[in-house]
Amino acid sequence: MQLRHLFINAKAFLIVFATIAVYVFPVADTRAAEHQNISDADNPEMKFDARKVIVDHVLDSYDWHLFDIGEREFSIHLPVILLYEGRLFFFSSKRFDHGYATYKGFRLAKEGPMKGRAIRVLDDGITPDPEASRIYDFSMTKNVLAVFVASALLCMLFISVGKKYREADIYSTPTGLPLFFEPLILFVRDQIAILAIGPQKYKPFMPYLLTAFFFIFLNNLLGLVPFFPGGANVTGNISVTFVLAMFTFFTTHWFANKTYWQHMFNMPGVPMFLKLPIPILPVIEMVGAFIKPFVLMIRLFANITAGHMVILSLTSLIFVLGSVSILMGYAISPLTIIFLIFLNFLKILVAFLQAYIFTLFSAFFFGMAVPDPDH
Amino acid sequence: MELLMPGLGLIFWMTVSFGFVLLILKKYAWKPILNVLNKREKELAKSFSDAKRIEYEMSQLATIKTTKIAEAEKIHDQIIAKAKEEAESIVAQARERAREEARIIAEKSDELIENYKKAAILELKSQLSTLSMDIAEKIINEEFSDRDRNVRYVNKLLNSVAEN
Repeated sequence: MQLRHLFINAKAFLIVFATIAVYVFPVADTRAAEHQNISDADNPEMKFDARKVIVDHVLDSYDWHLFDIGEREFSIHLPVILLYEGRLFFFSSKRFDHGYATYKGFRLAKEGPMKGRAIRVLDDGITPDPEASRIYDFSMTKNVLAVFVASALLCMLFISVGKKYREADIYSTPTGLPLFFEPLILFVRDQIAILAIGPQKYKPFMPYLLTAFFFIFLNNLLGLVPFFPGGANVTGNISVTFVLAMFTFFTTHWFANKTYWQHMFNMPGVPMFLKLPIPILPVIEMVGAFIKPFVLMIRLFANITAGHMVILSLTSLIFVLGSVSILMGYAISPLTIIFLIFLNFLKILVAFLQAYIFTLFSAFFFGMAVPDPDH
Repeated sequence: MELLMPGLGLIFWMTVSFGFVLLILKKYAWKPILNVLNKREKELAKSFSDAKRIEYEMSQLATIKTTKIAEAEKIHDQIIAKAKEEAESIVAQARERAREEARIIAEKSDELIENYKKAAILELKSQLSTLSMDIAEKIINEEFSDRDRNVRYVNKLLNSVAEN
């Protein structure tokens, strides 16, 4: 399969590059000032912290930065919804002032695993409260909004396509949107569903496979668009890929047939001591059932995040070198831009490939869940 | 590490949103689209097999046609050959019959001529006797005196007649 080779090459390339980026750029991480802004890069007082910029861009956040005009920043302040100790807190993320303000005892964490998220702080307004109970954070973050935008876009696109198909007679040649989407839909059906599940059993899985494929593909592409409503790292967010993987997991086990369950708990044709008294095989099978969606989750997340990191690293290279000497910054720019153009093309390919891989592997898992009885 | 921390809110909204998209698209997009695609494929497959079948039938018909034509030509040739043969035999028969009839007619005419000849000879013979009687009567009547000479003369006459 040629696509597989491309995918492996692209992935290997991205991983190597991301590794280099992560190891190289922290070197520039000198005592960074609080208010980092790339426009301050030429200021010798304000060292450019590439690592922080990259991670901040890849992470989710409570507001959606649109653009700067001079010193003024334009952002969409999204609603923060917190459930804390049985009480509901609902306020605009403007109250956090990009992490500089404390509101009702909540503040954005500056580091640690909760970085960028609301945590409870002590009365001094800065120190995290070590005894705080769990915060249930249902905020409409940047990625939530991006998911909504992508969902709305998907619904609009495909409902209109579906409408055209409802109205058209079956012999008419597709035009417009159907002309664009029909090959992709056929690709998902023939090269993914029928290939991985089989021509008799693929039908109930088609809605999920198509939705997952187009959802991932669209979000991957939107992630490449540098301005609103693109630019959110949706498919490179572990929560999103977790949900997608869970959908695959539950779909797998919803449609799983008797043979699948029998293979899981009582594998036929293997010695009894593997099943009783210690259920070695059932445990292995069960772990396998969870590892499969876990791998899906990690693969999509890692690929898309790595891609974003590479692009951000290359962009940061200009500012890192520029903070050393402004001439070096200018000198490296053309090279970086050429590389970025190349990388963006590569990422369009990766956007498609990752959607394809996720859907194909989901389909393989579905295929494994509906085996033929005598085998 | 912060990259690997799942967010409860995002998981919740993503589940709601994706589930919603899945249900909506299943009903309003994938079903009609896949329906049409399947139907179209079935129709195409049917048309294709129909075309194949018709092509096969046409080729069958063509072979049948050629064999029929060959057969017809053969029969036609046979008929012509037979007709020719028959015509020839009829002509031959007619010729034979004509010859036969001509032969019969010739035979009959020969017979007739023979009969006439016999009759003529008979009549001539009878007339000859009458004529002899007449001559004898004349001789008796005119020259009965010279008997010897008469006898000689009669003999002479008889001889001359007999020579004829």
